Amino acid sequence: MTYDVYMHFPVIAIMTLFVGAFLVTLVGKKETARNIIAGAAVLISLTLLALLVKPVFVDGQIIAYWMGNWEPVEGYAIGIAIEIDALSLFFGLLVAIAVALSCFYSFRYIKQDDARGSFFTLYLMLGGGVMGIVLSGDLFNIYVMLEVMTFAAVGLTAFRTWNPNAREAAFKYLVVGSIGSTSALLGTALVYAQCHTLNLAQISAILPGNMNPTMVLAFALLFAGFGCKSFMFPFHPIAADAHGAAPSSVSVLISGVFTKTGVYGIIRVSYFLFRTMGLTSMQTMLVFIGCVSMFVCVTMALNQHDFKRLLAFHSISQIGYILTSLGLCTALGIAGGLYHAINHTLFKGLLFLTAGSVLYATGTTYLEKLGGLARKMPKTTILFLVGAFSISGIPPFNGFYSKWMIYQASFEKAAETGSIGYGLVTVICVVTSVLTLASFVKVGHSVFFGQLRPELENAKDPPLGMRIPMWIMAALCLLTGLFPNIMLDYAIYPATNAVYDTVPYIDAAMGSGYAAEHLLSTTPFVAQLRTFIGAWNPISWLLLFIIVLAAIFFVSVSGKGGRGRALEPDAKHAVFFGGEEAEYSHISGGDLFWGFKHTMRHYLGFMSRVHTGVTNDYVLWGVTALAAIIAYCFAFML
Amino acid sequence: MNKKWKRDDLIVRSLADSYLPIALILGFYVILHGNISPGGGFQGGVLAASGVLLLYLGYGFRGIATALNMERMHKLEAIGAIAYVLFAMLGIFAGYNFCRNILFDSGNIGDVWSSGTIALMNYSVGFKVLTGVGFLLLLVIALLATESGHEHDGTISTTEHEELERRKGE
Repeated sequence: MTYDVYMHFPVIAIMTLFVGAFLVTLVGKKETARNIIAGAAVLISLTLLALLVKPVFVDGQIIAYWMGNWEPVEGYAIGIAIEIDALSLFFGLLVAIAVALSCFYSFRYIKQDDARGSFFTLYLMLGGGVMGIVLSGDLFNIYVMLEVMTFAAVGLTAFRTWNPNAREAAFKYLVVGSIGSTSALLGTALVYAQCHTLNLAQISAILPGNMNPTMVLAFALLFAGFGCKSFMFPFHPIAADAHGAAPSSVSVLISGVFTKTGVYGIIRVSYFLFRTMGLTSMQTMLVFIGCVSMFVCVTMALNQHDFKRLLAFHSISQIGYILTSLGLCTALGIAGGLYHAINHTLFKGLLFLTAGSVLYATGTTYLEKLGGLARKMPKTTILFLVGAFSISGIPPFNGFYSKWMIYQASFEKAAETGSIGYGLVTVICVVTSVLTLASFVKVGHSVFFGQLRPELENAKDPPLGMRIPMWIMAALCLLTGLFPNIMLDYAIYPATNAVYDTVPYIDAAMGSGYAAEHLLSTTPFVAQLRTFIGAWNPISWLLLFIIVLAAIFFVSVSGKGGRGRALEPDAKHAVFFGGEEAEYSHISGGDLFWGFKHTMRHYLGFMSRVHTGVTNDYVLWGVTALAAIIAYCFAFML
Repeated sequence: MNKKWKRDDLIVRSLADSYLPIALILGFYVILHGNISPGGGFQGGVLAASGVLLLYLGYGFRGIATALNMERMHKLEAIGAIAYVLFAMLGIFAGYNFCRNILFDSGNIGDVWSSGTIALMNYSVGFKVLTGVGFLLLLVIALLATESGHEHDGTISTTEHEELERRKGE
């Protein structure tokens, strides 16, 4: 086997982050040196992965890299592999982009905190762990990296140790996250006992079709383990606590990257290792979990009073979209899910960074204490609007396209199977999207618009060092929405093909012909991609968007109020004309949807009561979910 | 904490004195022979790091504060990790893969120096674990020392603690 130089890139991309983490420790308190090291590490990692786009996405190569040249002997993979197919590279790039942008944001954002050296050590560890998971070709190494990632994330959640909430959130995270780690480890051990190998490619060749009760248990444990890492439905409350307390640049990683490793793990486990995705029962389970996560979390988000907690619940809601879409098990569904995965990383990253900017400028993220920031922070407001439009699926931005694919995929699935359930899935997807928009109207209204609160008089836009990463994310949000065909051709479709056709992945690692020899059927169980419906011309949508924007601008300029000028403290402009000073009233800020909430009070009240915030309860939920998944798998998959 | 505990106990101190070299030698022995015999860098590192605990038992906070530097230990741990990656990278520089063992046919089989860069990687792991676990133990002890458990700046404030103890005694 000949090795081109780019074969070494993945392992160097992982190791750069880890070496960067230790070098940061070494330089100690020197601020500039630390920033240079962290910045260089993330940039090198990103560049190396970007250089792999040509061989992997375009030429369709699969890189199988054996640590220490321990290649398979007589059909047994005894060495540790790093294997990069289009799916791995897709997630790897997504990780690298988010890690790099968020790292540059943190340079300024973290400046007021103490223990900044530990921050970048843990940050790069988290990045390296996530990168290790998505690029590894070995089940046990995935577990090890999962632990590295989890502990780094726990440490970063508790980074602001003066905040008691942060410590509490980190503790919850640690305890509930351990359920996931433990079940992933147990599943790995069972797979190793049965297959005598840990190599992903070899397991996915010899395991499918040989399902015995042990393997069903192993599958359920691995699925629940990765599901816990993606914070799917019963594990979601810890995410809200963690995001609320962690620094915003860490929230970007936890929401945009950490949860994606769970999604990646679920894809690898259910499409590759066990190939259970072809079973109707498995599809039903994943779609059900996805829909419940989607709906429960979006209604929880409507109920929140904290900017970052609200974003955290939305993050799980979007993960619900991705899981639902992957659970449909059609080519379009997988493509839509993967597209939504990268879009979610971009727009949720942007939203968390704007939340961080608001926190940086005002010192709070509590919605009732904010208002009218658009006058003081116009640049942040624009960035927030880009993020909010993207997540709600307003046409020229990226969220629209992936959501459209998901709607269509679920609708086609309903037409195909004739089941009313999948039709309901489409409805839930659309309703969730509407509720997402509603809650972002609420956030926009209570944070950026409305009357400026007197105590926020001194708020101003964050410095340039924080704005540039946000602008890059906003630009990427727009670009991935405007040129979906380029995205689809060069990234999404190769990754989709990799998901439903496992044969090249196996053959690349184990030698050609290995899959044909061991797999019962080498034909993928997913039908090929079809063209999809819907007139969609992003450029004309962009023009329409610009025209509408211009119209709004024109109206606001020609109005009497003046361009965004704050009202003068003059009696003739005041609310009351009685001579006394106008009293500040935060008229609709906190509760724009009080009518809706009142109508839904039984459901929303029930949801708030159930989310007690007690660690024991959340552990109980997690263990119940694990038990339920195991029972379901035994009932329907054996 | 039991107030009757006397840290200057002669028996404990002399036992610590005699066990400290044994612990260190055993630890270094396991690290050095990790590449050719059971055990390895991790196990040996933990054994050697137990010396920190012995030091604490025999000489208390003051003994540790004078003998060991927490900050430096933290940095040495990073050096151990970086050294491991560099030795693993030698494989790439030699034209093979990451973690590839080069120079492995040097020396007789069974000698300490017969396993090429694997030995060096093993020593780096041993060094990293020795300093890492040592640092962890120091951290725990430092947290005990400051009693309230918050605000430690990497140094162990023995004087503060002894001051407290003295006041309690009075």
